[in-house]
Amino acid sequence: MTRSLLERFPFLPALAILAILVALNGLAEPNSLGYRAIRGLVSTYLALMLLAVAQSFVVFAADIDLSVGAILGLVNVSVVTLMQAGGGTVPVVLGACIAGALIGLACGVVNGIAVAALRLQAIVATFATSILFTGLALTVLPVAGTPAPTPYWRTYGGRILEIPFVFWVLGVVLGLIALFARHRVVLDLLSVGDDQRAAFQSGLPVTAIRIRGYALCGLFSALAALCLTGDTASGDPLVGNAMTLYSIAAVVLGGTALSGGTGSMLGSLIGALIIALIGSLVFFLGTPSQWQNLVQGAAILIALMAGVLVSRRVRR
Amino acid sequence: MARLTLTGIGKRYGPTVALSRADLDLHPGEVHVLMGSNGSGKSTLCKIVAGSVRPDEGQLTWEGQEISIASPRDAAARGIGIFYQELSLAWHRTVAENIALPRLPVRAGLVDRAGVARLAEAQIAPFAEVAGDGFGPDVPVSHLRPDQRQLVEIMKCLASDARVMIFDEPTSALDRAQTARFFDVLRGLKAEGRSIVFISHRMDEIFEIGDRVTVIRDGTTVATAPLSDTSQERIIADMVGEEAAVSPAGEDNGTSASPVAPDVPMQGTAAVDPGVDAPARDRAGRATDPAPRSADASTTAPLLQVRGLTGARLRDVSFTLAAGEIVALGGLHGQGQSALLRTLFGAEPATRGGAELAGAPLDIRSPRAAIRAGLAYVSGDRGRDGAITDRPILENTVPIHFLRRRMALARPGPLSARAKEALSALATRYAGLSASIGSLSGGNQQKVVIARWLIDPPKVLLLDDPTKGIDLATKTELFALIRRLAAEGMGVVLHSSEDAEILANADRILVFNGGRISRELAGEERTRFNLYEAAYDAGPSAPPAEGAA
Repeated sequence: MTRSLLERFPFLPALAILAILVALNGLAEPNSLGYRAIRGLVSTYLALMLLAVAQSFVVFAADIDLSVGAILGLVNVSVVTLMQAGGGTVPVVLGACIAGALIGLACGVVNGIAVAALRLQAIVATFATSILFTGLALTVLPVAGTPAPTPYWRTYGGRILEIPFVFWVLGVVLGLIALFARHRVVLDLLSVGDDQRAAFQSGLPVTAIRIRGYALCGLFSALAALCLTGDTASGDPLVGNAMTLYSIAAVVLGGTALSGGTGSMLGSLIGALIIALIGSLVFFLGTPSQWQNLVQGAAILIALMAGVLVSRRVRR
Repeated sequence: MARLTLTGIGKRYGPTVALSRADLDLHPGEVHVLMGSNGSGKSTLCKIVAGSVRPDEGQLTWEGQEISIASPRDAAARGIGIFYQELSLAWHRTVAENIALPRLPVRAGLVDRAGVARLAEAQIAPFAEVAGDGFGPDVPVSHLRPDQRQLVEIMKCLASDARVMIFDEPTSALDRAQTARFFDVLRGLKAEGRSIVFISHRMDEIFEIGDRVTVIRDGTTVATAPLSDTSQERIIADMVGEEAAVSPAGEDNGTSASPVAPDVPMQGTAAVDPGVDAPARDRAGRATDPAPRSADASTTAPLLQVRGLTGARLRDVSFTLAAGEIVALGGLHGQGQSALLRTLFGAEPATRGGAELAGAPLDIRSPRAAIRAGLAYVSGDRGRDGAITDRPILENTVPIHFLRRRMALARPGPLSARAKEALSALATRYAGLSASIGSLSGGNQQKVVIARWLIDPPKVLLLDDPTKGIDLATKTELFALIRRLAAEGMGVVLHSSEDAEILANADRILVFNGGRISRELAGEERTRFNLYEAAYDAGPSAPPAEGAA
């Protein structure tokens, strides 16, 4: 009796739910499975996928980060403002992207120090830093609307070697996920999430590992912000706040336990896609606008329950 | 000469003094036994050496140089490895990953899976034959039995390849074959010149594997001697100090002819022969002769009647329990004894069968119903079933009272009085009711857990290896209490992993094998010989066992 399929691939139930949603979308609107529709979907939801991957790093260690959306917003306005100020040339755009990634990393380190080194409660500490980061974003860009330079969003919406740029990004993200799955950083985080005291007694540097988790979370939130900026082509200091809880929902839908110690990043990515497809299904079904939130919420609940039921049955 | 010397080590947790003046010196190539009752500071001393606890005072010397050990990492770098009593395993990770975790083989940042497998394989190999079914490098630790988890913790410690290895009760869940194999490994390590610290509550093991013994009492080292120059009585006398008179029955035990008796020295000889058993019961004030008891058990209606109970780990178990009777569940490890108790308590589902308590059907679907009906369950696994960790002693003493009386609001005054009364009945040692239960030693934590049930006395007490990891003196106290409760009319079902406890305390013994009761021992039949024979007997005489109950 070695590991069951589910323990090896905790995202399998999520994959099944995803398949069902794809089929439902196809039934509701055959065009929704077309090349253009999928490209649009990926383009819109790449930010949420990256945000869910970011959230996974901390959830693996039984931590949580309620500031991912705020980091996303701060990086979004910083990048747009930097690009605008520099005149929007290619070197400036690249420099701004690097600066944005560093800002995200710095935010993550701040979170990590607050939670792991100062031992503040993760939920409250990251809620506080989320307000802080949003405040920073509002000083950088008080009102939404500054446009991103044309070369930036043209690249994001364009193609390289006849393949849409967003698919390249998705490929790189999948590659990173595969790499991280085998990297000791993730095994360390999972061990800490499994039992923090046991990890400490095993000689693992628990505080450093948790800070590293938050730092990676911040970095990936920044990458999410770069994708979002490409999609919306403008700066908005409050754009990310609504996405924070979606990222946590995506992580859980992907089969990762909030109690830490078990899960997969691929699952989080699939979880984000599930949320995306629920959104598009609600749209294609022609749900009246006042009903959309209700239907979407109910659908996410059903997906969560289905995942739990499948896991429970398989484990037995 | 000495590799590691500890001098005058002290450690306080708030008002509780864990260690006051502990000394220990470790030589290369020895197995050094650490003895002391629970709460004497053994585990704390081990954790100080392993770097997971920092001492308040005292000196550590490593090969003549004064050192300080700041963290488990620091200790590992110095060549100190430890087996933690409470285990330090990552539940969702595999056996191989757990073994390799402290020294993870990494190639270019990526986990070297082949290296992990090699490292694990080397540690699993010596235990391959005794590890049992379902054990393997790719199995997650959460799938393993407790004894297998303990083996993983042992392998993890061995994988550290340290010069000083500390084993804090490594054998408490292991069966005989596993322990024997572990001792072979220890002898090999000793021959390589490593220093081993070994803690166990089983006397026979200590004399089998140890070279020297250090006895700690109340956080102070009171004696160090070669085991060849000392005796069981001497060690126990050192452990209990001036209260050495606790166990007059144990005095003649050293000369006992039985080689297996020593694991409970207090009742060593009594355990072998039920005839000698009688005086021990006299002192506890209960019936001397088991014969009349069985007689009145058959004339009056049984307190608890179990019929055909079947579950995942139980096969058609039926028996009766009379008021005032102690029925013990014996046999090899994990043959369904624990499952029976947990099923009766509603903590594990039954697929068939049922039970009656004092003539009325017993609802065994949830612990809540069982508690309301008058059942009590005390488990040796305090972490899982007993202690509400990080909460005050008061809150740990009163929850059952709350449930039984259907209380909604707490009035601290009257509650404290009741809690104090129950705790003092068990001679629990604690600093104050508001102190966290975590500040107590294992034995005192267990007393708090038991006290919880005694505020409103239950009809039936289910004891699931209640003395696991508890020192000898406390064990004796607990069994005296259990006999007193039985004498007052409570029915007791006792499962113990120590055969001597069963032999010394039970009126009847139900021997389990593969989830069934394979044999019932009563009266004169209650001998160690019969118990072993029945436990190991899975052969031709076993099939008719179905009717045994």
